[in-house]
Amino acid sequence: MLTGGRDAKRGSEDRTPGTDASAKQVRLMIVDDHPAVRLGLQQLLDCQPNFSVAAVCIDAEGAAARAEAERIDVAVVDYQLGGRNGLWLCRQLRRLPDPPHVIIFSAFANDHLAACCAVAGAGAVLNKGVLGSELCDAVRSVVRGRRLLPRVSQPLADMLRRRLPEREQMLFGMLLAGIPRVEIARTLAMSARELNCRADAMLRDLEPLPGEASASDRPQRRLDRERLIPRPRPASPLRG
Amino acid sequence: MSSSADEAPRRRAGRGRYRPLLQRVVAANAALLVAACLLTVLVLAPRKFSTVAVDEAIVLLVALALVALINVFLVHRFVAPLQKLNALARRVDLASPGQRIPDARPISEAGELAATFNDMLARLEREQREVSRRVLAAHESERLRVAQELHDEVGQTLTAVLLQLSRAQERLPRELSGELREAQAAARASLEDVRRIATDLRPETLNDLGLASALAALSDGFGRRAGVRVERQIATPIPALGSEAELAVYRIAQEALTNVARHAGSDSAELTVSSDPDLLTLTIRDHGRGLPNRGAADGNGVRGMRERAGLIGAKLTIEPPLHGAGTELRLELPLDGARCSG
Ligand SMILES: Nc1ncnc2c1ncn2[C@@H]1O[C@H](COP(=O)(O)OP(=O)(O)OP(=O)(O)O)[C@@H](O)[C@H]1O
Ligand SMILES: [Mg+2]
Repeated sequence: MLTGGRDAKRGSEDRTPGTDASAKQVRLMIVDDHPAVRLGLQQLLDCQPNFSVAAVCIDAEGAAARAEAERIDVAVVDYQLGGRNGLWLCRQLRRLPDPPHVIIFSAFANDHLAACCAVAGAGAVLNKGVLGSELCDAVRSVVRGRRLLPRVSQPLADMLRRRLPEREQMLFGMLLAGIPRVEIARTLAMSARELNCRADAMLRDLEPLPGEASASDRPQRRLDRERLIPRPRPASPLRG
Repeated sequence: MSSSADEAPRRRAGRGRYRPLLQRVVAANAALLVAACLLTVLVLAPRKFSTVAVDEAIVLLVALALVALINVFLVHRFVAPLQKLNALARRVDLASPGQRIPDARPISEAGELAATFNDMLARLEREQREVSRRVLAAHESERLRVAQELHDEVGQTLTAVLLQLSRAQERLPRELSGELREAQAAARASLEDVRRIATDLRPETLNDLGLASALAALSDGFGRRAGVRVERQIATPIPALGSEAELAVYRIAQEALTNVARHAGSDSAELTVSSDPDLLTLTIRDHGRGLPNRGAADGNGVRGMRERAGLIGAKLTIEPPLHGAGTELRLELPLDGARCSG
């Protein structure tokens, strides 16, 4: 009896790949630096029909490595992670041969972040206050190839566009409008690789927090946020 | 004894019990002159006394007048800077900097004293500015810390709670789901509160998108939360001010709008930013009950605004508007100065 009980318990905790064999199974990756949120996401997503959580990571670098080793369909990624941020991870993931869809799940999901998500190639951006069911719906939508990015208001789009060098402004407009990348590449006659590089360069000018900082630069990144405190203005140390 | 002697001149607003220097000098010199004349007459020509008396008297009077004149001239030159110093020292207030003794040149001891006094005022003001700057920077970094903590801890935990409630909802029997939905709504509302408070504490938009966007977001927020409809006119692009000046302008606008919501009793306000090549002007005007008639001392809010304005070399006025009721706050920031201090 006792051993049976234990086994049953273990069985409920372990994933059971046997039942996941159907082709519709959605393999998920969760990336968040807060333990409670990771756990909440894992429990919620794991109990959905046809979803299986294949990986749970606490930082962007680990997640990028995991996704290379394992097939992932959808990654649910927090924007602010220790070290490199969610958009950095998004760009890495979208470069994989069979790229996962990325949902940016952030406490500060606003228009600005949405614009950056569009450039980074994320499929959706969701506020952390959404209901669990909305998150699950979003996962199902992006799997079907839909894009769930809020429309960026015109004044904000104009302001962001002005930050970019002139030759990038058209590309930015196309990315913002949600035109598929293959089509953009064909229209502008460039390779997918070149498109990715240019999008990365753009993000450096657009992002609220530059995502290039590596994990060891975390204090430096914090400093950059503290730019609000009066201090002699540094010459944008992270732009280099 | 000594303390009452110190207080006496202050209490009597400059009319202490002493005789002014000028009076004393003139009296002493006159006495000397009279004594000298008398001595001359009595000792050297006692017998001629009666005949020369009239002539002597005239000479004496003329000499007395001359002495008084010369004394007045010399002593006045000496005393005037002292009087100005006295007057300024009585009313000087570091909260409104830039007050100095006019034409204090070190051409006499008193002039030197006045010039030194001016230097001392300049030094005190510099030190005061430094102290304010440090206090404000400490405030800002504390706000940043609290905001980060709110977001990183409370916000994340609430997110986790929401996720767990969502999961529970799918598993619980129907009759419980209504209650669960209420719990969910409460958790969402507090998450929204946490976000709002964190944003108030740390204006992310200012850093990310610049002053114009941050002021727009701020006034929209007041419309939504405080029920004050803020009509805004922001002449974009606002020239680059430097992060210190931008933060100061933002915080002043924030406090001004808070005051409108709190004291004005008006449901509409106007926020205007205009700039020409060398001056940026921010005005926030409401149509409420106006400032209290008199005697209302500046609170922390107004004092903080003045301090911030002073630090970036801007002029701040809070007055009734030229036309109509209400209050108008006006901040004028000279753009060259801002660039130097930013
Ligand atoms: N827009 C306004 N309309 C009417 N009265 C105002 C307005 N702004 C300020 N006041 C008056 O000026 C006083 C000082 O404002 P101040 O912001 O310094 O202090 P406070 O708002 O009372 O407190 P706090 O220190 O929390 O800001 C207020 O008490 C209020 O009487
Ligand atoms: Mg106030």
